[in-house]
Amino acid sequence: MSFKDTLESGKFVVTAEVGPPKGTDISVMKHDMELLKGKLDAVNVTDNQSAVMRICSLAVCKLVLEHGLEPILQMTCRDRNRIALQSDLLGASVLGIRNVLCMTGDHVSAGDHKSARPVYDIESVQLLQVVNALNNGKDMSGNDLKGATSFFQGAVVTPESNPLEPQLMKFEKKVKAGANFFQTQAIYNIDKFKEFMAFARQFPVKVMAGLVVLKSAGMANFLNNFVPGIKVPQDLIDEMKAAGKEKALDTGLNITARHIRQLKDEKICDGVHIMAIGMEDKVPTILERAGLL
Amino acid sequence: MIITKKKDRSKLLKTLEGYNSFYLIGCSECASLCGTGNEEALKEMAEDLKAQGKTVTGMIVPKTGCQTLGTKVELKKDKDALDKADAIVVMSCGAGTQSAVEIYPDKAVYPSNDTSFLGNMTRFQMFDERCSLCGDCVIDKTGGICPVTNCPKGLLNGPCGGTKDGNCEVSDEIKCAWVRIYERQKKLGELDKMKEILPPKDWSAKQGPHKLYTRADAAEGDKKSKDKK
Repeated sequence: MSFKDTLESGKFVVTAEVGPPKGTDISVMKHDMELLKGKLDAVNVTDNQSAVMRICSLAVCKLVLEHGLEPILQMTCRDRNRIALQSDLLGASVLGIRNVLCMTGDHVSAGDHKSARPVYDIESVQLLQVVNALNNGKDMSGNDLKGATSFFQGAVVTPESNPLEPQLMKFEKKVKAGANFFQTQAIYNIDKFKEFMAFARQFPVKVMAGLVVLKSAGMANFLNNFVPGIKVPQDLIDEMKAAGKEKALDTGLNITARHIRQLKDEKICDGVHIMAIGMEDKVPTILERAGLL
Repeated sequence: MIITKKKDRSKLLKTLEGYNSFYLIGCSECASLCGTGNEEALKEMAEDLKAQGKTVTGMIVPKTGCQTLGTKVELKKDKDALDKADAIVVMSCGAGTQSAVEIYPDKAVYPSNDTSFLGNMTRFQMFDERCSLCGDCVIDKTGGICPVTNCPKGLLNGPCGGTKDGNCEVSDEIKCAWVRIYERQKKLGELDKMKEILPPKDWSAKQGPHKLYTRADAAEGDKKSKDKK
Protein backbone atom coordinates (compact mmCIF):
# COMPACT_ATOMS: atom_id res chain seq x y z
CA MET A 1 0.00 0.00 0.00
CA SER A 2 1.30 3.49 -0.78
CA PHE A 3 2.29 5.90 1.97
CA LYS A 4 -0.74 8.05 1.12
CA ASP A 5 -3.16 5.11 1.30
CA THR A 6 -1.62 3.85 4.54
CA LEU A 7 -1.82 7.27 6.18
CA GLU A 8 -5.37 7.80 4.98
CA SER A 9 -6.41 4.34 6.15
CA GLY A 10 -5.78 5.48 9.71
CA LYS A 11 -2.89 3.12 10.35
CA PHE A 12 -0.11 4.54 12.55
CA VAL A 13 2.65 5.30 10.04
CA VAL A 14 6.38 5.32 10.50
CA THR A 15 8.88 7.21 8.40
CA ALA A 16 12.59 7.83 8.81
CA GLU A 17 15.24 9.75 6.94
CA VAL A 18 17.98 9.01 4.49
CA GLY A 19 20.62 11.71 4.38
CA PRO A 20 22.31 11.79 0.98
CA PRO A 21 26.08 11.60 1.37
CA LYS A 22 28.55 14.27 0.34
CA GLY A 23 30.30 12.56 -2.53
CA THR A 24 29.59 9.71 -4.88
CA ASP A 25 30.24 6.84 -2.47
CA ILE A 26 26.75 5.62 -1.65
CA SER A 27 27.68 2.31 -0.05
CA VAL A 28 26.65 3.23 3.52
CA MET A 29 23.39 4.72 2.30
CA LYS A 30 22.64 1.56 0.27
CA HIS A 31 23.34 -0.56 3.34
CA ASP A 32 20.96 1.58 5.42
CA MET A 33 18.26 1.34 2.75
CA GLU A 34 18.55 -2.46 2.77
CA LEU A 35 18.18 -2.43 6.55
CA LEU A 36 15.11 -0.19 6.43
CA LYS A 37 13.39 -2.02 3.59
CA GLY A 38 9.98 -3.38 4.58
CA LYS A 39 10.11 -1.69 7.98
CA LEU A 40 8.89 1.80 7.11
CA ASP A 41 5.92 3.35 5.34
CA ALA A 42 8.14 5.88 3.60
CA VAL A 43 11.60 7.39 3.72
CA ASN A 44 12.31 11.12 3.67
CA VAL A 45 15.25 12.15 1.56
CA THR A 46 16.71 15.38 2.87
CA ASP A 47 17.50 18.26 0.51
CA ASN A 48 21.00 19.60 1.14
CA GLN A 49 20.22 19.38 4.83
CA SER A 50 21.49 22.27 6.98
CA ALA A 51 22.49 23.97 3.73
CA VAL A 52 25.41 21.54 3.39
CA MET A 53 25.97 20.50 -0.24
CA ARG A 54 25.33 16.79 -0.88
CA ILE A 55 23.84 14.50 -3.55
CA CYS A 56 20.54 15.94 -4.70
CA SER A 57 17.36 14.69 -3.08
CA LEU A 58 15.80 13.83 -6.43
CA ALA A 59 18.53 11.37 -7.45
CA VAL A 60 18.54 9.71 -4.04
CA CYS A 61 14.73 9.39 -4.11
CA LYS A 62 15.13 7.41 -7.31
CA LEU A 63 17.67 5.14 -5.59
CA VAL A 64 15.25 4.73 -2.68
CA LEU A 65 12.57 3.60 -5.14
CA GLU A 66 14.99 1.14 -6.74
CA HIS A 67 15.68 -0.30 -3.29
CA GLY A 68 12.01 -1.06 -2.77
CA LEU A 69 11.19 1.79 -0.38
CA GLU A 70 8.79 4.67 -0.89
CA PRO A 71 10.51 8.06 -0.94
CA ILE A 72 9.31 11.43 0.33
CA LEU A 73 11.14 14.08 -1.65
CA GLN A 74 12.15 16.92 0.65
CA MET A 75 12.17 20.08 -1.36
CA THR A 76 13.49 23.39 -0.08
CA CYS A 77 13.18 26.81 -1.67
CA ARG A 78 16.73 27.83 -0.78
CA ASP A 79 18.59 26.64 -3.85
CA ARG A 80 16.13 26.91 -6.73
CA ASN A 81 13.93 29.56 -8.23
CA ARG A 82 10.33 28.85 -9.19
CA ILE A 83 11.32 27.55 -12.63
CA ALA A 84 13.79 25.03 -11.21
CA LEU A 85 11.40 23.95 -8.42
CA GLN A 86 8.60 23.19 -10.86
CA SER A 87 10.96 21.54 -13.30
CA ASP A 88 12.35 19.27 -10.55
CA LEU A 89 8.82 18.43 -9.42
CA LEU A 90 7.86 17.36 -12.93
CA GLY A 91 11.07 15.33 -13.08
CA ALA A 92 10.27 13.68 -9.76
CA SER A 93 6.81 12.84 -10.99
CA VAL A 94 7.99 11.00 -14.11
CA LEU A 95 10.54 9.08 -12.01
CA GLY A 96 7.66 7.71 -9.95
CA ILE A 97 8.15 9.87 -6.85
CA ARG A 98 4.73 10.52 -5.34
CA ASN A 99 5.37 12.33 -2.05
CA VAL A 100 6.86 15.75 -1.59
CA LEU A 101 7.63 17.62 1.62
CA CYS A 102 7.62 21.37 1.00
CA MET A 103 9.98 23.45 3.11
CA THR A 104 11.64 26.84 3.00
CA GLY A 105 15.05 25.42 3.93
CA ASP A 106 17.82 26.40 6.34
CA HIS A 107 19.64 29.59 5.40
CA VAL A 108 22.96 29.23 3.55
CA SER A 109 24.71 30.83 6.51
CA ALA A 110 24.19 27.55 8.41
CA GLY A 111 25.93 25.43 5.80
CA ASP A 112 29.24 24.79 4.12
CA HIS A 113 28.86 27.28 1.27
CA LYS A 114 28.27 30.42 3.29
CA SER A 115 29.10 32.75 0.42
CA ALA A 116 26.40 31.23 -1.80
CA ARG A 117 23.52 33.38 -2.97
CA PRO A 118 20.34 31.99 -1.38
CA VAL A 119 17.32 31.95 -3.67
CA TYR A 120 14.02 31.91 -1.72
CA ASP A 121 12.16 33.02 -4.86
CA ILE A 122 9.07 31.48 -3.26
CA GLU A 123 8.60 29.89 0.19
CA SER A 124 6.99 26.85 1.78
CA VAL A 125 3.36 28.06 1.77
CA GLN A 126 3.62 29.13 -1.84
CA LEU A 127 5.43 25.91 -2.81
CA LEU A 128 2.48 23.94 -1.47
CA GLN A 129 0.23 26.00 -3.72
CA VAL A 130 2.54 25.30 -6.65
CA VAL A 131 2.33 21.53 -6.05
CA ASN A 132 -1.45 21.87 -5.98
CA ALA A 133 -1.38 23.70 -9.29
CA LEU A 134 0.86 21.05 -10.87
CA ASN A 135 -1.53 18.37 -9.59
CA ASN A 136 -4.27 20.27 -11.38
CA GLY A 137 -2.35 20.40 -14.63
CA LYS A 138 -1.21 24.02 -14.40
CA ASP A 139 2.13 25.66 -13.79
CA MET A 140 2.59 28.72 -11.58
CA SER A 141 1.95 31.06 -14.47
CA GLY A 142 -1.30 29.32 -15.32
CA ASN A 143 0.04 27.53 -18.39
CA ASP A 144 -1.44 24.12 -19.16
CA LEU A 145 0.78 21.13 -18.52
CA LYS A 146 0.89 18.19 -20.87
CA GLY A 147 0.17 15.70 -18.13
CA ALA A 148 -0.40 16.69 -14.51
CA THR A 149 1.44 15.45 -11.42
CA SER A 150 -0.25 13.56 -8.61
CA PHE A 151 1.76 14.42 -5.54
CA PHE A 152 0.81 13.73 -1.97
CA GLN A 153 2.17 16.81 -0.27
CA GLY A 154 3.43 17.46 3.17
CA ALA A 155 4.78 20.33 5.21
CA VAL A 156 6.59 20.88 8.48
CA VAL A 157 5.67 22.62 11.71
CA THR A 158 7.54 23.46 14.91
CA PRO A 159 5.15 22.81 17.82
CA GLU A 160 7.63 24.02 20.45
CA SER A 161 8.52 27.30 18.82
CA ASN A 162 8.52 30.41 20.96
CA PRO A 163 6.41 32.48 20.40
CA LEU A 164 4.06 29.76 19.19
CA GLU A 165 1.12 31.69 17.78
CA PRO A 166 2.85 32.88 14.56
CA GLN A 167 3.88 29.25 13.89
CA LEU A 168 0.31 28.06 14.39
CA MET A 169 -0.91 30.76 12.01
CA LYS A 170 1.59 29.52 9.44
CA PHE A 171 0.46 25.93 10.05
CA GLU A 172 -3.06 27.05 9.22
CA LYS A 173 -1.83 28.75 6.06
CA LYS A 174 -0.08 25.55 5.03
CA VAL A 175 -3.29 23.61 5.50
CA LYS A 176 -5.12 26.19 3.39
CA ALA A 177 -2.36 25.99 0.77
CA GLY A 178 -3.02 22.27 0.36
CA ALA A 179 -0.80 20.34 2.78
CA ASN A 180 -2.07 16.78 3.24
CA PHE A 181 0.26 15.79 6.04
CA PHE A 182 2.70 17.34 8.50
CA GLN A 183 5.93 16.08 9.96
CA THR A 184 6.93 18.07 13.02
CA GLN A 185 10.26 19.35 14.26
CA ALA A 186 11.59 17.07 17.00
CA ILE A 187 9.36 16.88 20.06
CA TYR A 188 10.30 15.45 23.46
CA ASN A 189 7.54 16.63 25.75
CA ILE A 190 4.50 14.48 24.96
CA ASP A 191 2.15 16.45 27.21
CA LYS A 192 3.02 19.69 25.43
CA PHE A 193 2.69 17.93 22.11
CA LYS A 194 -0.83 16.88 23.08
CA GLU A 195 -1.70 20.58 23.41
CA PHE A 196 -0.44 21.19 19.90
CA MET A 197 -2.40 18.20 18.61
CA ALA A 198 -5.58 19.56 20.18
CA PHE A 199 -5.09 22.58 17.92
CA ALA A 200 -4.00 20.56 14.86
CA ARG A 201 -6.95 18.18 15.13
CA GLN A 202 -9.28 20.99 14.06
CA PHE A 203 -7.90 20.61 10.56
CA PRO A 204 -8.31 17.77 8.06
CA VAL A 205 -4.61 16.86 7.93
CA LYS A 206 -2.47 14.01 9.21
CA VAL A 207 0.27 14.81 11.69
CA MET A 208 3.39 12.76 12.31
CA ALA A 209 5.48 13.56 15.38
CA GLY A 210 9.14 14.19 14.63
CA LEU A 211 11.53 12.28 16.89
CA VAL A 212 15.27 12.82 17.12
CA VAL A 213 17.21 10.06 18.88
CA LEU A 214 19.28 11.33 21.82
CA LYS A 215 22.82 9.99 21.85
CA SER A 216 23.96 11.63 25.09
CA ALA A 217 23.05 14.21 27.70
CA GLY A 218 25.50 16.53 25.96
CA MET A 219 23.56 16.21 22.73
CA ALA A 220 20.34 17.08 24.56
CA ASN A 221 21.95 20.25 25.91
CA PHE A 222 23.27 21.05 22.45
CA LEU A 223 19.79 20.72 20.96
CA ASN A 224 18.36 22.98 23.65
CA ASN A 225 21.02 25.62 23.18
CA PHE A 226 21.58 25.63 19.47
CA VAL A 227 18.69 24.10 17.58
CA PRO A 228 15.68 26.38 17.28
CA GLY A 229 12.33 24.89 18.18
CA ILE A 230 13.70 21.89 20.09
CA LYS A 231 13.27 21.60 23.85
CA VAL A 232 14.48 18.51 25.67
CA PRO A 233 12.90 18.48 29.16
CA GLN A 234 15.17 18.18 32.21
CA ASP A 235 13.84 14.76 33.24
CA LEU A 236 15.00 13.26 29.93
CA ILE A 237 18.41 14.92 30.26
CA ASP A 238 18.64 13.45 33.79
CA GLU A 239 17.68 10.03 32.45
CA MET A 240 20.44 10.26 29.82
CA LYS A 241 22.96 11.41 32.46
CA ALA A 242 22.03 8.58 34.82
CA ALA A 243 22.61 6.06 32.05
CA GLY A 244 26.30 6.96 31.94
CA LYS A 245 28.47 7.04 28.85
CA GLU A 246 28.21 3.37 27.96
CA LYS A 247 24.46 3.09 28.14
CA ALA A 248 23.64 6.56 26.82
CA LEU A 249 22.82 5.58 23.25
CA ASP A 250 20.85 2.57 24.40
CA THR A 251 18.83 4.83 26.71
CA GLY A 252 18.27 7.28 23.87
CA LEU A 253 16.89 4.47 21.71
CA ASN A 254 14.64 3.41 24.59
CA ILE A 255 13.30 6.94 25.05
CA THR A 256 12.41 7.19 21.37
CA ALA A 257 10.78 3.74 21.45
CA ARG A 258 8.84 4.68 24.60
CA HIS A 259 7.60 7.89 22.99
CA ILE A 260 6.50 6.01 19.87
CA ARG A 261 4.53 3.54 21.99
CA GLN A 262 2.80 6.30 23.92
CA LEU A 263 1.99 8.33 20.78
CA LYS A 264 0.54 5.23 19.16
CA ASP A 265 -1.27 3.71 22.13
CA GLU A 266 -2.89 6.98 23.17
CA LYS A 267 -3.67 7.80 19.52
CA ILE A 268 -2.09 11.23 20.01
CA CYS A 269 -1.07 11.63 16.37
CA ASP A 270 -1.13 9.73 13.08
CA GLY A 271 2.42 8.45 13.03
CA VAL A 272 6.04 9.23 13.73
CA HIS A 273 8.95 10.50 11.72
CA ILE A 274 12.28 9.29 13.11
CA MET A 275 15.30 11.47 12.49
CA ALA A 276 18.23 9.25 13.41
CA ILE A 277 20.81 11.72 12.02
CA GLY A 278 23.61 9.38 10.97
CA MET A 279 22.26 6.39 12.92
CA GLU A 280 19.81 5.12 10.34
CA ASP A 281 21.00 1.58 11.13
CA LYS A 282 19.54 1.93 14.65
CA VAL A 283 16.01 2.59 13.37
CA PRO A 284 15.05 -1.13 13.23
CA THR A 285 16.12 -1.49 16.90
CA ILE A 286 13.90 1.45 17.87
CA LEU A 287 10.96 -0.03 15.97
CA GLU A 288 11.48 -3.43 17.62
CA ARG A 289 11.53 -1.87 21.09
CA ALA A 290 8.43 0.16 20.22
CA GLY A 291 6.66 -3.06 19.34
CA LEU A 292 6.26 -2.09 15.70
CA LEU A 293 8.25 -4.92 14.14
CA MET B 1 20.26 56.87 1.99
CA ILE B 2 22.88 54.75 0.25
CA ILE B 3 25.33 53.16 2.64
CA THR B 4 28.97 52.96 1.61
CA LYS B 5 32.05 51.49 3.24
CA LYS B 6 35.65 52.43 2.59
CA LYS B 7 37.51 49.87 0.53
CA ASP B 8 40.59 48.37 2.14
CA ARG B 9 43.06 51.23 1.74
CA SER B 10 46.16 49.18 0.91
CA LYS B 11 44.27 47.25 -1.77
CA LEU B 12 42.95 50.51 -3.21
CA LEU B 13 46.43 52.04 -3.31
CA LYS B 14 47.63 48.93 -5.12
CA THR B 15 44.86 49.36 -7.70
CA LEU B 16 45.95 52.98 -8.22
CA GLU B 17 49.67 52.14 -8.44
CA GLY B 18 50.00 52.86 -12.14
CA TYR B 19 48.80 56.47 -11.87
CA ASN B 20 50.69 59.48 -10.60
CA SER B 21 48.12 62.24 -10.18
CA PHE B 22 44.56 62.17 -8.94
CA TYR B 23 41.48 64.31 -8.66
CA LEU B 24 39.15 63.38 -5.80
CA ILE B 25 35.35 63.60 -5.93
CA GLY B 26 33.22 63.06 -2.82
CA CYS B 27 29.50 63.58 -2.24
CA SER B 28 27.79 65.83 0.29
CA GLU B 29 24.79 63.54 0.67
CA CYS B 30 24.88 59.86 1.71
CA ALA B 31 28.64 59.37 1.48
CA SER B 32 29.20 62.38 3.73
CA LEU B 33 26.81 60.98 6.35
CA CYS B 34 28.63 57.65 6.10
CA GLY B 35 31.96 59.40 6.56
CA THR B 36 33.23 57.95 3.30
CA GLY B 37 32.92 60.97 1.00
CA ASN B 38 32.97 64.11 3.17
CA GLU B 39 35.76 66.68 3.13
CA GLU B 40 37.57 64.98 5.97
CA ALA B 41 37.58 61.64 4.15
CA LEU B 42 38.87 63.33 0.99
CA LYS B 43 41.68 65.04 2.89
CA GLU B 44 42.65 61.76 4.47
CA MET B 45 42.74 60.12 1.05
CA ALA B 46 44.88 62.98 -0.29
CA GLU B 47 47.35 62.48 2.58
CA ASP B 48 47.56 58.75 1.91
CA LEU B 49 48.15 59.33 -1.80
CA LYS B 50 50.79 61.97 -1.09
CA ALA B 51 52.51 59.57 1.28
CA GLN B 52 52.83 57.22 -1.70
CA GLY B 53 54.55 59.97 -3.67
CA LYS B 54 51.45 60.78 -5.71
CA THR B 55 50.03 64.20 -6.56
CA VAL B 56 46.50 65.32 -5.84
CA THR B 57 45.55 67.99 -8.38
CA GLY B 58 42.30 68.97 -6.66
CA MET B 59 39.21 67.77 -4.91
CA ILE B 60 35.53 68.56 -4.65
CA VAL B 61 32.55 67.48 -2.58
CA PRO B 62 29.70 68.02 -5.03
CA LYS B 63 26.18 68.58 -3.77
CA THR B 64 24.80 65.27 -5.00
CA GLY B 65 27.13 62.87 -6.81
CA CYS B 66 24.35 60.87 -8.39
CA GLN B 67 22.80 64.01 -9.85
CA THR B 68 24.81 63.72 -13.04
CA LEU B 69 23.85 67.03 -14.62
CA GLY B 70 24.43 69.11 -11.49
CA THR B 71 27.73 67.39 -10.79
CA LYS B 72 28.84 68.08 -14.36
CA VAL B 73 28.23 71.80 -13.84
CA GLU B 74 30.12 71.77 -10.52
CA LEU B 75 33.07 69.92 -12.04
CA LYS B 76 33.37 72.43 -14.90
CA LYS B 77 34.67 75.00 -12.41
CA ASP B 78 37.63 72.75 -11.66
CA LYS B 79 38.43 71.84 -15.28
CA ASP B 80 42.18 72.56 -15.06
CA ALA B 81 42.77 70.43 -11.98
CA LEU B 82 40.73 67.63 -13.54
CA ASP B 83 42.67 67.81 -16.80
CA LYS B 84 45.97 67.55 -14.92
CA ALA B 85 44.94 64.33 -13.14
CA ASP B 86 45.77 60.90 -14.61
CA ALA B 87 42.79 59.41 -12.82
CA ILE B 88 39.74 60.36 -10.82
CA VAL B 89 38.98 58.70 -7.49
CA VAL B 90 35.30 58.93 -6.60
CA MET B 91 34.50 58.75 -2.90
CA SER B 92 30.75 58.23 -3.03
CA CYS B 93 28.51 55.30 -3.92
CA GLY B 94 28.71 53.38 -7.17
CA ALA B 95 26.14 55.70 -8.69
CA GLY B 96 28.25 58.78 -8.03
CA THR B 97 31.29 57.00 -9.45
CA GLN B 98 29.42 56.28 -12.65
CA SER B 99 28.30 59.91 -12.90
CA ALA B 100 32.02 60.72 -13.17
CA VAL B 101 32.47 57.95 -15.76
CA GLU B 102 29.68 59.53 -17.80
CA ILE B 103 31.05 63.07 -17.45
CA TYR B 104 34.66 62.00 -18.18
CA PRO B 105 34.43 59.23 -20.78
CA ASP B 106 38.13 59.50 -21.64
CA LYS B 107 39.55 59.43 -18.15
CA ALA B 108 40.24 56.59 -15.72
CA VAL B 109 37.75 56.63 -12.83
CA TYR B 110 38.09 54.48 -9.68
CA PRO B 111 35.78 53.99 -6.68
CA SER B 112 37.22 54.30 -3.19
CA ASN B 113 34.13 52.78 -1.57
CA ASP B 114 32.00 49.65 -1.64
CA THR B 115 28.29 50.35 -1.95
CA SER B 116 26.37 48.25 0.55
CA PHE B 117 22.66 48.96 0.82
CA LEU B 118 19.85 51.44 1.16
CA GLY B 119 19.80 52.15 4.87
CA ASN B 120 18.23 54.12 7.66
CA MET B 121 20.62 55.97 9.96
CA THR B 122 19.45 54.84 13.39
CA ARG B 123 22.29 56.48 15.33
CA PHE B 124 25.29 58.49 14.19
CA GLN B 125 26.88 56.42 11.41
CA MET B 126 24.95 53.31 12.41
CA PHE B 127 22.85 52.01 9.58
CA ASP B 128 20.04 49.49 9.36
CA GLU B 129 18.63 48.07 6.16
CA ARG B 130 14.86 48.41 5.98
CA CYS B 131 14.07 48.48 2.26
CA SER B 132 15.52 46.39 -0.58
CA LEU B 133 14.01 48.42 -3.41
CA CYS B 134 12.09 45.36 -4.63
CA GLY B 135 9.68 47.44 -6.67
CA ASP B 136 6.60 45.64 -5.34
CA CYS B 137 5.95 46.90 -1.81
CA VAL B 138 4.10 44.55 0.56
CA ILE B 139 4.35 46.44 3.84
CA ASP B 140 0.70 47.46 3.63
CA LYS B 141 0.03 43.79 4.43
CA THR B 142 2.75 43.35 7.02
CA GLY B 143 2.23 46.09 9.57
CA GLY B 144 4.66 48.44 7.89
CA ILE B 145 7.60 46.10 8.51
CA CYS B 146 9.27 44.73 5.37
CA PRO B 147 9.77 40.95 5.47
CA VAL B 148 11.50 41.01 2.09
CA THR B 149 14.31 42.99 3.72
CA ASN B 150 14.18 42.18 7.43
CA CYS B 151 13.88 38.39 7.00
CA PRO B 152 17.06 36.90 5.48
CA LYS B 153 14.83 34.48 3.57
CA GLY B 154 12.42 37.21 2.52
CA LEU B 155 9.48 35.08 3.68
CA LEU B 156 6.05 36.45 2.89
CA ASN B 157 3.85 34.12 4.93
CA GLY B 158 5.16 33.91 8.45
CA PRO B 159 8.25 32.87 10.39
CA CYS B 160 10.39 29.89 9.39
CA GLY B 161 11.07 27.03 11.78
CA GLY B 162 14.43 28.58 12.56
CA THR B 163 13.17 31.38 14.77
CA LYS B 164 14.51 30.97 18.28
CA ASP B 165 12.92 32.88 21.16
CA GLY B 166 11.82 35.54 18.72
CA ASN B 167 15.23 35.89 17.11
CA CYS B 168 16.42 35.03 13.61
CA GLU B 169 17.94 31.71 12.56
CA VAL B 170 20.75 33.61 10.88
CA SER B 171 21.80 35.69 13.90
CA ASP B 172 20.70 36.12 17.50
CA GLU B 173 21.21 39.83 17.00
CA ILE B 174 18.38 40.08 14.50
CA LYS B 175 14.86 39.93 15.82
CA CYS B 176 12.68 37.68 13.66
CA ALA B 177 10.91 39.96 11.20
CA TRP B 178 7.76 37.84 11.40
CA VAL B 179 7.69 37.96 15.19
CA ARG B 180 7.96 41.76 14.90
CA ILE B 181 5.16 41.79 12.33
CA TYR B 182 3.07 39.49 14.53
CA GLU B 183 3.58 41.63 17.64
CA ARG B 184 2.76 44.85 15.81
CA GLN B 185 -0.32 43.47 14.08
CA LYS B 186 -1.51 41.97 17.34
CA LYS B 187 -1.12 45.36 19.03
CA LEU B 188 -3.01 47.06 16.20
CA GLY B 189 -5.74 44.42 16.17
CA GLU B 190 -4.77 43.51 12.60
CA LEU B 191 -3.77 39.85 12.95
CA ASP B 192 -6.28 38.98 10.24
CA LYS B 193 -3.83 40.43 7.74
CA MET B 194 -1.25 37.86 8.82
CA LYS B 195 -3.69 35.06 8.05
CA GLU B 196 -3.92 36.07 4.41
CA ILE B 197 -1.66 34.03 2.09
CA LEU B 198 0.56 36.43 0.20
CA PRO B 199 1.26 35.30 -3.38
CA PRO B 200 4.74 34.80 -4.81
CA LYS B 201 6.45 38.11 -5.40
CA ASP B 202 6.56 39.66 -8.82
CA TRP B 203 10.32 39.95 -9.14
CA SER B 204 10.03 41.44 -12.61
CA ALA B 205 9.63 44.78 -10.87
CA LYS B 206 13.11 44.32 -9.39
CA GLN B 207 14.79 43.54 -12.67
CA GLY B 208 17.33 46.16 -13.67
CA PRO B 209 18.55 48.32 -15.10
CA HIS B 210 15.70 50.57 -14.06
CA LYS B 211 14.70 53.77 -15.71
CA LEU B 212 12.00 56.01 -14.38
CA TYR B 213 10.33 58.07 -17.07
CA THR B 214 10.70 61.82 -17.10
CA ARG B 215 7.71 64.10 -17.20
CA ALA B 216 8.29 64.58 -20.93
CA ASP B 217 8.28 60.81 -21.51
CA ALA B 218 5.08 60.46 -19.50
CA ALA B 219 3.38 63.17 -21.53
CA GLU B 220 4.52 61.47 -24.71
CA GLY B 221 3.16 58.12 -23.47
CA ASP B 222 -0.21 59.67 -22.58
CA LYS B 223 -0.41 61.17 -26.03
CA LYS B 224 0.27 57.80 -27.66
CA SER B 225 -2.34 55.96 -25.59
CA LYS B 226 -4.90 58.64 -26.40
CA ASP B 227 -4.10 58.30 -30.08
CA LYS B 228 -4.71 54.53 -29.80
CA LYS B 229 -8.15 55.08 -28.32
